[in-house]
Amino acid sequence: MLEQLLSFAQSLKNQTGLEQFWWGNAVMIAIGCTMIFLAVRKGYEPLLLVGIGFSCVIANVPGSDLILPGGLFHYAYQGVALLVIPPLIFFGVGAMTDFGPMIANPKLVVLGAAAHLGIFVALIGAKCLGFTLNEAGAIGIIGGADGPMAIFVTMKLAPHLLPQVSVAAYSYMALMPLIQPPVMRLLTTRAERQIVMPPSRKVSRLERIAFPVVIGFIVNLFFPPVAPLITMLMLGNLFREVLVTDRLAKTAANDLMNVIIIILTCAIGSTMAADRFLTVKTIEIVVLGLIAFLFGTASGVIGARIMNLFLKEKINPLLGSAGIASVPIAARVSHIVALRDNKENYLIYHAMGPNLAGVFGTAISGGIMLALLGVK
Amino acid sequence: MIVPDTIEGALLLSLIDFFLSIVMISGIGIVLALFPFLNRLGKLDDDAIRQGHH
Repeated sequence: MLEQLLSFAQSLKNQTGLEQFWWGNAVMIAIGCTMIFLAVRKGYEPLLLVGIGFSCVIANVPGSDLILPGGLFHYAYQGVALLVIPPLIFFGVGAMTDFGPMIANPKLVVLGAAAHLGIFVALIGAKCLGFTLNEAGAIGIIGGADGPMAIFVTMKLAPHLLPQVSVAAYSYMALMPLIQPPVMRLLTTRAERQIVMPPSRKVSRLERIAFPVVIGFIVNLFFPPVAPLITMLMLGNLFREVLVTDRLAKTAANDLMNVIIIILTCAIGSTMAADRFLTVKTIEIVVLGLIAFLFGTASGVIGARIMNLFLKEKINPLLGSAGIASVPIAARVSHIVALRDNKENYLIYHAMGPNLAGVFGTAISGGIMLALLGVK
Repeated sequence: MIVPDTIEGALLLSLIDFFLSIVMISGIGIVLALFPFLNRLGKLDDDAIRQGHH
């Protein structure tokens, strides 16, 4: 009888994951819980960190079927692996974004490229640390501060780095209000930060409708490797701007976006199993990601200052750091830093121009990178 | 792979990519600078569009 009970207990134990549990799982579960804590208590990107944190916890419970073939998280990951989810995120983003500030002030668009020096600093740094060029490209794209684009390029160049790259990209995006201001203040004078931008011109309905069509055409013609993302961004925006498809625009911006965020966060978190994540490479990627953000911020501000050498009407150099693609966080940071020196300097609308251009800057950098690396 | 998988390759890739990015995004800027000319084609009234005739 006792033997039967012990045998029964043993077979029950064998069905659990207790024997496979190791300290790495405990560390990753702690990281997952920290993400949930940061989302709940600090308000850092709650829509992303809650789902990623929870699925990270589940991915580190040995024996969990959710991440294995047949499990729901596994299928969520297939949406990322097959590059279905990132274009759909862009679709939703397009439907909720007003590109008016970018159309109204085209001279600021170049800041969307200037602020991406960080991509290349991280890329070269990664190569020096012994990563392959494809891996270095995936790590570098963290500096674009564009989550879906980072996922898209990483899945094309180095899919095995997806968890590290996506977690680094989204974490630093959430931490931009802490990372960017010291660099911005260091590279500007108080007088420069106090420059007030003149009001932008009004953008007509015709221009707003033409914008997604023209950009969709240009991107598909010149950057086919990243065209799926920008094309969907533009389709979402067209639904918003034509005014006769409000239902579709609202669905893309709200319901569909929410569903996609749930799938995306489950997919990313479920790849954060300890045996994949707890490596020296992860630490290197996290450090390189931070370097990319710092250099991107710096190059944007310096780019704006260089522009001022040629402009009769000077621009506020804080707009430069908004060229990092993280919309609208980078624009908001520029606005807040400017407000500290001049309580009546409302930069947010102007900063949205380079900020939105940064989305295209990252896409263009990613597209050229994929083309040069021979990846379709 | 067009670019060699070396540090020199990484430098080359970065230089070309950064330069081309600036050129391409400037091109988009130039296209956007031409957008005000679209308004010469006429004006679209938001309310009329919503009502289905314009």
